[in-house]
Amino acid sequence: MTTNPAELAAQPYSGEKARLSRHFDYLILVLAFFLYIGSFHLNVALTVGDWDFWLDWKDRQWWPLITPLMMITFPAAVQSLLWERFRLPMGATLCMCCLLIGSWITRVFAYHYWNYFPINMVLPATMLPSALVLDVILMLTNSMTFTAIFGSAAFALLFYPSNWPMFGMFHVPVEYGGAQLTIADLFGFQYIRAGMPEYLRIIERGTLRTYGQYATPLASFFSALLCTLMYTLWWHLGKWFATVRYLKKI
Amino acid sequence: MLKRLGFLGCVLTTLAAGISVAHAHGEKALEPFIRMRTIQWYDVSWSNPTVEVNDAVTVTGRFHVAEDWPIGVPKPEAAYLNISVPGPVMIRTERYLNGQPWTNSVALRPGADYDFKVVLKARVPGRYHIHPFFNLKDAGPVMGPGRWIEIGGDAAAFSNPVKTLGGEVIDMESYGLATGVMWHGLWLLVGLAWLLWWISRPLFFPRYKMLEAGREAELVTPLDRRIAKVILVAVPVVVLGANAMAQNAYPNTIPLQAALDHIDPLEPVVNTGAVQVKILRAEYRVPGRSMAMTAQIFNGTGHPIRIGEFATAGLRFINAVAVVPSQDETDHLTAAAGLHLDNDAPIQPGERRTVMISATDAIWETEKLDGLIRDADSRLGGLLFFYDDAGQRYITSSSVAVIPRFD
Repeated sequence: MTTNPAELAAQPYSGEKARLSRHFDYLILVLAFFLYIGSFHLNVALTVGDWDFWLDWKDRQWWPLITPLMMITFPAAVQSLLWERFRLPMGATLCMCCLLIGSWITRVFAYHYWNYFPINMVLPATMLPSALVLDVILMLTNSMTFTAIFGSAAFALLFYPSNWPMFGMFHVPVEYGGAQLTIADLFGFQYIRAGMPEYLRIIERGTLRTYGQYATPLASFFSALLCTLMYTLWWHLGKWFATVRYLKKI
Repeated sequence: MLKRLGFLGCVLTTLAAGISVAHAHGEKALEPFIRMRTIQWYDVSWSNPTVEVNDAVTVTGRFHVAEDWPIGVPKPEAAYLNISVPGPVMIRTERYLNGQPWTNSVALRPGADYDFKVVLKARVPGRYHIHPFFNLKDAGPVMGPGRWIEIGGDAAAFSNPVKTLGGEVIDMESYGLATGVMWHGLWLLVGLAWLLWWISRPLFFPRYKMLEAGREAELVTPLDRRIAKVILVAVPVVVLGANAMAQNAYPNTIPLQAALDHIDPLEPVVNTGAVQVKILRAEYRVPGRSMAMTAQIFNGTGHPIRIGEFATAGLRFINAVAVVPSQDETDHLTAAAGLHLDNDAPIQPGERRTVMISATDAIWETEKLDGLIRDADSRLGGLLFFYDDAGQRYITSSSVAVIPRFD
């Protein structure tokens, strides 16, 4: 039987101990998978909410500001636990994979099959590229401070370009009712949402447009700044709430 | 055991017997004074109650924005004419206010008159109860009258082609879906590969013990570092490259549109001054489910007129004695002979008469409008419809405080 060299390097146990410890790994992984699908998904639904649910909320100002800011929370806390205690640089990626799987389950079953919305109208945004970069920056620097400054900035700045290949095409203009609309706006007009009148959209509001039409980069850099603070806060939250007291007894 | 099973069976049967399909949209939940004194709907009609998938249904109607707008409700500075449906079983292809197409929200003017038209396209087969209604910013939804619509056919046959400004014809049902799935799938694969790379080796106990033992260097290997460096470079390169390609593929994109539409009201239709009404007193008689109004009416038209209808909050009380234009009066919101006067003789031109008007029917209670007497703002509002011998219609909007009578 061949053995992975990496496994040899990181295995202090052998025999039954190693087998039991591996079973414990699987148990925790399965629990973590469902825990993060549920909790992180709920957190994003309550904070990012409509900006992630609907095409016609994905604007140039609020979407790139709110989404990274609210989506860096759980990754920071989980990174804190997994890196500080286990040197596992996968906290952010794990959270984002769980979030994305949970989002897709919801969009397909709740929005499409249950409520008849076409799936393309409720496509979620992705933050997986940002999460991968956040994880590897933490791993390569082994520094919370460095990751908070540069990793969080990269996390926010990569958000819009990561998603534009998916959502740019929905900003193609159409003429409708004597006015120009994006295809995303048209989705909002045509596919009726009784509880979502147009005026509820928090889009394109604010003073960022005073810098010309370059609202997106400004919103992204502002988000990057806020993400450094949010990352630090949630890193410490993760640290405070996570405990290894039971591991110490084994 | 058998007894327990029997009991459980009884409980489940009772519960199942009580299950019914919900048909309402919360239209009775809004406080009566808001339903009566904000958007006053009339002449609402549907083109066709039975359609096939891809067929059009047109909803038309009129509404008056009440002058006596409740002080507790923000003024309608942003309002959105919506359709109450259980999800997009129909799509909205066109919408007009006073003949002008509009897609965003609009400011309405209290005291003004509007007509509307909404064209829907059937999408999902089924039987649905559909209302036009107004979402009023910071106030809530004010429902118009509803109607059952039956959609037949095959949902898979639905298509929604739209032409972009660049001339491309797209199907809204599938546009962009493959691209979205491809990018999500790609990043998910990369993310799962990164996770798999780490979880394929012993995790929690061994790594914790080794970290505690100061063997940290063994936990992250040189190969791990090389892969991390590749990710650190490759991910931004792919992201920025894909972003540049998307910008090249769609060079003419625009931001989401967030303007407030501006639409002028119609020439006055309600309260034109030809007929003037002042309601002097209104009493709601709880046991009789009857609103008794004492109204002073002045006929400024050149013809004798009669009161034909009182309408409020989507309810219609018809005076069977008067001549009323033919409209669909089969729905449960219409009391076909629910309006009674103490004097049915026509009001002559130039005459000022005080009339006792009674709007009586159980729909006050079933539609929960009798709750007006327990509202913080217990003022009644509604439209009175007058007709002359030639069928000409005159409409007034009035309001008055309501006194309850419990005997």
